[in-house]
Amino acid sequence: MAWNKPIPNVEKALKPFWEGLKNHRFLLLKCNECGAWYWPATYCRNHRNKPFFGSLSWTGASGQGKIVSYNITRVAMRPAFKDDVPYVYALIQLSEGPMISSNIINCAPESVYIDMPVRVVYRDVPEISMTIPYFEPDTAAKDMHRRGQP
Amino acid sequence: MEPNSRLSGKYAIAGLGMVIGLPEKELEKRKADLPGHPMLNHAIASPLVDLSAKDIEAEAARRAIEDAGLSNKDIDGAVHVHGGPRSGRGVVEHMDAFPRMLGLPVNFYYHCGRGGGWGTIGIITALSFLELGLAKYVAIAGSREDWTRSHRKEVRDQGIRGQINPATVAGMWGPTYGRTAAAHEHSMFAARHKHEYGTTETQFGAGAIQVRAWACKNPLARMYGRPATIEDYLQSPIYIDPYHLMDMAVTTDGAVAMVLTSMERARDCPKPPVAVLGIGYGDAQGGQWWEGAAHYTKLPVLKAKEAAFGQAGISIKDIDVAQLYDCFTAELIFQMEDYGWCAKGEGGAYVEAGHIGPGGDTPVNTSGGLLSAYHMADLTGISESVFQLRGEAGERQVPDARLTFVTGHGGEVFAPGMCSIHTTLVLGRP
Repeated sequence: MAWNKPIPNVEKALKPFWEGLKNHRFLLLKCNECGAWYWPATYCRNHRNKPFFGSLSWTGASGQGKIVSYNITRVAMRPAFKDDVPYVYALIQLSEGPMISSNIINCAPESVYIDMPVRVVYRDVPEISMTIPYFEPDTAAKDMHRRGQP
Repeated sequence: MEPNSRLSGKYAIAGLGMVIGLPEKELEKRKADLPGHPMLNHAIASPLVDLSAKDIEAEAARRAIEDAGLSNKDIDGAVHVHGGPRSGRGVVEHMDAFPRMLGLPVNFYYHCGRGGGWGTIGIITALSFLELGLAKYVAIAGSREDWTRSHRKEVRDQGIRGQINPATVAGMWGPTYGRTAAAHEHSMFAARHKHEYGTTETQFGAGAIQVRAWACKNPLARMYGRPATIEDYLQSPIYIDPYHLMDMAVTTDGAVAMVLTSMERARDCPKPPVAVLGIGYGDAQGGQWWEGAAHYTKLPVLKAKEAAFGQAGISIKDIDVAQLYDCFTAELIFQMEDYGWCAKGEGGAYVEAGHIGPGGDTPVNTSGGLLSAYHMADLTGISESVFQLRGEAGERQVPDARLTFVTGHGGEVFAPGMCSIHTTLVLGRP
């Protein structure tokens, strides 16, 4: 099916994130000095920073996390999502600590719950030359992710 | 408690002007049923046909100046308020309009605002210029045309529902995943509160129907004449689960304006002055990515409340009536807790017990709020506070209302750069 959804508007500081996704790698920013993890690009909260985001390096991350909260869209508010309802949009806390949001796919919306372990799943979309990160139930995880605290 | 700010009560709202849209047939019916009802003086027909946002804003300002017993030549400062450049609500095209249309001889004029706190941010701006001696009378105006924008034929034909979002800007996150409505963000709070505290669907519904009951006493409210029961709520369609249609604010056209001046000057104006007693501001920006789940069961109320209540020298027990930002029903429950009417986690039960509706001991959103009256961000609450404190609220008047507060809010917290604010504005009879 042709891609008819809004195309992610990539900001320059997140280009390495999107490039990583194309290679099916899930990158987050890690502080070179104290090891704290961040997403999206920002400054480390714990100490002085080098110019721009120079204190942080894009680093491979687990791509795992758990659901903090979520909703299920039952009435599409935009035509591009008409065929997707009901769909789950979730707020996810990654195992490394940062928060991200995405759809939870490959499961029935009714089976989704808060604290559910999830993992990234990559969808390559050649029409827009991008790979979009979605999340799915992490059946291997036994809710053993530590609650990440930078 | 004594006010801890020498500015508390030094300035006042001296004039109020409003233009609120109602569907044309609805408006005709109400005018026929309630001839001469004062609230209907503020009504115009929606969708806007021969009028634009700048026109209704200028008209609201004209009415506010007249309400204050002043002429345009008296207004020496002006502020245009809005939800921020990213709100896409015509900031650029009419930011320079209303003072010019009215020929206001202003010493300063600019625009400001953020999220749902524009009215209060506009008052902060006005007060700074009054206090610096740069102006004697400041007009503030803001508008929304959500009804018109979302009911254009080409928009409807495309299958687009709800508020029209601005174009996606670089770095924004979510539209790709169907994050197309404010409810996609705000309902996260509701779901998390349910998870942590066992808050129920019926408790969210209780807030919606009590605010609706207030709307049925305000002929200017979108939902006037449409009382609802908890059964109606439970049967209303679920749009973005956990949110039903009735959990979400109305979309309306409208403009609200006011004139701010010193209390000394306001006493010479024809209407009773409404004193600005305290202003506070809270923000969740610092914590939104790092606080984790803890962030999603509270609003950034604490600093805003402490600042505003401290300046005014009041506590929550002193409040006669409150106008809380109810863009969605969870915000009502959160604010019951965060302002201290009840403990954290007990907001659902507190609202369900009937405290906030007509006859309750904590009257909240007596206009019908954003849920059932008109969504003018915190200008809805500010205008209603003026009516209540002047004793002009008619059927919904809270007897001897002397002290109130208004909140502004933005809860889009996890798309980078979006809005996570809270404002508290304490108003009172001098």
